[in-house]
Amino acid sequence: MQHRTKASLLSIIPGFGQFYNKQWVKGLVFLGFGGAFLFAFGDMLNMGYWGIFTLGTEVPRDNSVFLLAQGIIAILVTLLGLLVYYLNFRDAYKNGELRDKNRPLSSLRKQYHNLVESGYPYVVSGPSFFILVFAVIFPILFSLAVAFTNYDLYHSPPANLVDWVGFDTFAKIFTVDIWRSTFFDVLGWTVIWTLVATTLQVGLGILLAVVVNQKDIHFKRVVRTVLVLPWAVPGFVTILIFAGLFNDSFGAINNDILAFFGIDAIPWLTNAAWSKLALILMQGWLGFPYIFLVTTGVLQSIPDDLYEAATIDGASIFAKFKHITMPMILLAIAPIIITQYTFNFNNFNIIYLFNGGGPAVPGSTAGGTDILVSWIYKLTMQSSQYSLAAALTILLSVFVIGIALWQFRRTNSFKED
Amino acid sequence: MIRFKKYLGLISFTALLFALVACGPQESDGDSGDSSDSSENAEETKELTVWADIDKSAGIEAAIAVFEEEHDVEIEVIEKAYAQQVEDLRLDGPAGTGPDVFTMPGDQIGTAVTEGLLKELDVSEDVQSIYTDVAMNSQIYDGKVYGLPKAVETNVLFYNKDLVSEDEVPTTLDGWYELSLELTEGENYGLLALFDQIYYANGVLSGYGGYVFGKDADGNFDPTDIGLNNEGAIEGAESIQKFYDEGLFPSGLVGEQGINVLDSLFSEGKAAAVISGPWNLGPYEEAGINYGVMKLPELANGENMSAFVGVKSYNVSTYAKNPELAEEFVEFITNEENSKTRYEITGEVPAVKALAEDPVVAESEAAQAVAQQSQFSELTPSIPEMNEVWTPADAALQTIATGKADPEEALNQAVETIEGQIEANHAGQ
Repeated sequence: MQHRTKASLLSIIPGFGQFYNKQWVKGLVFLGFGGAFLFAFGDMLNMGYWGIFTLGTEVPRDNSVFLLAQGIIAILVTLLGLLVYYLNFRDAYKNGELRDKNRPLSSLRKQYHNLVESGYPYVVSGPSFFILVFAVIFPILFSLAVAFTNYDLYHSPPANLVDWVGFDTFAKIFTVDIWRSTFFDVLGWTVIWTLVATTLQVGLGILLAVVVNQKDIHFKRVVRTVLVLPWAVPGFVTILIFAGLFNDSFGAINNDILAFFGIDAIPWLTNAAWSKLALILMQGWLGFPYIFLVTTGVLQSIPDDLYEAATIDGASIFAKFKHITMPMILLAIAPIIITQYTFNFNNFNIIYLFNGGGPAVPGSTAGGTDILVSWIYKLTMQSSQYSLAAALTILLSVFVIGIALWQFRRTNSFKED
Repeated sequence: MIRFKKYLGLISFTALLFALVACGPQESDGDSGDSSDSSENAEETKELTVWADIDKSAGIEAAIAVFEEEHDVEIEVIEKAYAQQVEDLRLDGPAGTGPDVFTMPGDQIGTAVTEGLLKELDVSEDVQSIYTDVAMNSQIYDGKVYGLPKAVETNVLFYNKDLVSEDEVPTTLDGWYELSLELTEGENYGLLALFDQIYYANGVLSGYGGYVFGKDADGNFDPTDIGLNNEGAIEGAESIQKFYDEGLFPSGLVGEQGINVLDSLFSEGKAAAVISGPWNLGPYEEAGINYGVMKLPELANGENMSAFVGVKSYNVSTYAKNPELAEEFVEFITNEENSKTRYEITGEVPAVKALAEDPVVAESEAAQAVAQQSQFSELTPSIPEMNEVWTPADAALQTIATGKADPEEALNQAVETIEGQIEANHAGQ
C-alpha cells in the first residue's frame, strides 16, 4: 500500500497519519486538537444535536428555544471541527505523497516558516472569521430555523414545547384568508412606497444638485448648507415633529399652510391614502439631501471640456444634460441609489414613528400604512406570532436580495471595463 | 482513492455524532439534576429578587425591612416599568437573572399563564376575601390563583373647576353633550374622551348591553361569544357618534396622537372635562389646572358608564429560585397594613376592601372617585384572545368617529376581523 493511502487511513484518528509520516510535533498538535474538541464540546454537541432534532421532550425541563439555539451552535462548532479534521487528512495525504515520490519532508522549522508565511492571512483573519460565524451567521440561522417551527403564544416555553412543522407556516401565509389578504395588501403598499418615495428623493436630490451647480448661481455654499439641513437633524426627531405638523385639526400644515391657500383641512392621519401621501412627501424631504451631496460631488468631477466641446457642436442645454450630465451621475451613484431603494423597503422608523402604521383598516391585521417590516414588528410584539414573523422575514429578505442583485447586475458601475 | 478516504473519515465522524445524539435525553436528565442542586444552594443563602414599579419602590421599603428581619432573608429590589416586566421575564427568567417576585398588569395574566411564566399560588380563601372581587378575579385564570392585587386603576372624569362650577357639573353623558354644545367654540371644548378606542368607548357600549367577551357557566371568558356588535353596542356607538358628528371633539383627537391632544387641551385649560386615569392626577396639577375628580357620568338609559379596571399585582415567577418564600412575601406585601402604607407613600389606590372606608383613602377625592367608579367597572378580559380585540375594535371606532362608516356596519366588520384573527392566532391551541 502506498504511504499516502496508509497515512490518510490512519488519520481517521487525528494526528496518527502525521505520526506515520514521522512528523511528531504536528501529529501531537492534531491529536491534541481532536481530543480537546471532543472533551470540550462533547456534552454540548450531544445536547445540541439531541435538542435540535427533538426540540425538547419534557416540560418544563426543556426550553425549546434554548435547545434550538444550542443545536445551531453545535452545528457551527461541528463544521469548524470538520474543517480542522479535513486539514488533518489533507496534510497526511500530501506528506504521504511526498514520501511515495521519495522527496524529503519539511523539517519542523520549515513547517513553522511555511505556516507563518503562507498562512499569515488566515491567522490574522481567523478571529474575525470566528466572530462573523457567531455574530452574523448564528442569528440568521436562528431566525431561519424559527420559521420552520410552530413557535407562537401557545407553543412557547416554558409551559409548552416548540415543534418542527416544516413549511406549514409559509403555507399559512398563503392559505389562511386573513393572512393572505393582509400579506398582499402590505406587500403591495411596500413596493409602491419603496418605488415612489425613493424615486422622489433621488430625483429631487439630483435636480437640486444640478441646479445649484450652475455657474450663474450665487451663494452656492449657503444654498448647499440649507439643502443639507434636513439630513443634519436626527431623523426620528424630524418624523415626530412632522407627525405633529400633519395632525388633522391642530397641525400647522392644515391650519396655517393649507388654510392660507383656502384649501380645506386634509385628513392626513385618519385617511390611509392621505397618510401614504404624507409619508412619501416626508421621506422625499428626509432623503434628498444625501443624494444631493453625493451628486454635487460627482458634478465637480465632470470635466468642463466635455461641455465646451458640446457647446461648440451646438448642443442645447437639455442635450448636454441628457447626454453628459445624467449618464455621468448615474454611472457614479447607481450603487447608492440601489441602497436607497433597499433602505426604504425596510424603512421601519418613519412608519412606526409617524403614526404606527395607522390608520386602522377593517378586515386586516395590519394598519393602512404598515410596510412588511412594521407588520412583522406588530406580529411579534402584539400577537406573539414568532414563527409567522420569521417566515415573513425570510420572504422579505428574498425580495430585497432579489431586487438588489437584479439591479446591481444591470448597472454599469459593476461591469468590468 | 483520496476522495474515498475523505468520505470514509466524514462518515465515521458523523456516525460518532449520531451515537452521541442517541444519548441526549439521559445526559439532560443529569443536567436537570444539576440545576435543582443549584436551586438548593440558593435556598441556603436565602435571597429574594423583587421587581418593583418605577418610582414606587419607596412604598414597600419599610415592609421589606420587616420581612427581611422576620425571615432572615436578603431582598434586592429593582425598579422597572411595570408593563415591561413580563416581557423581560421571558428572557431573564431562563437565564437565571430574573426576579422571584414581580408586578404586572392584570389583563396580561392569561397570556403569561399560557406561556407558563407565572407560578400558581396557594392562597387561602381568607386571604383572598380581603381584596375587592374585581381585583381578585383578575388574578384568577382557569380557577387558579396566580397573584395578589396591589393596586387598582380605573377611568374617572376630570373637570376644570374654572370652566364648570362644582354645582353645575353634569352627571349624565347627555348633560355633558348639551354643555359641550354650549362650550365648544374655536379652540375651546366641553367634554373630551378618546371614544375612538375600545378601552374608553367600552364604558358606553357596555352600559347599553355590549360586551367584549361573554362568560360561560363557570365565569370564565368565552372567546366564541363576542358582544361588540349586539344591539346594545350599536346603540352605544351611535350615542358616541353624535359627539363627533356635531364637531364636539376636534378631529385630531382621533388616532395615535389623540391621547396627547386630549392631555394638552385639558392642561391648557381649553377643555372643560376629560375622561382619563389616575395617572394624570400629578401632571394635570403641575399644569396648574384647578380640577375636580368624579366618577364617570350616567348614560341616557340610567346605567352608569362603566370602565375597564386595571389591576396591578404581585406575582411569583416560575423561575423563582425560592418559590415558597416568594409566595409568602407576596401575601405579606399585599396585606392590609402594607397596602395602606404603600398608598400613603405612592398614592396608588389599593385593592383591599377594608381600606375603601379608611379615612386615609376616603378623604382623597381622587381615590374616592376611583373607588366609586370601580363599582361600575369590569375587568379587561385576561384571556390571550383579548390581544386580537384591540386593533380591530379601535379600527371600527375610528371609522365611526371619522364618519366613514355607520356604527352597525363598522362593528360587524370588527367582530368579523376579531373572529378571523382569533381563528388565525389561537386555533389549535
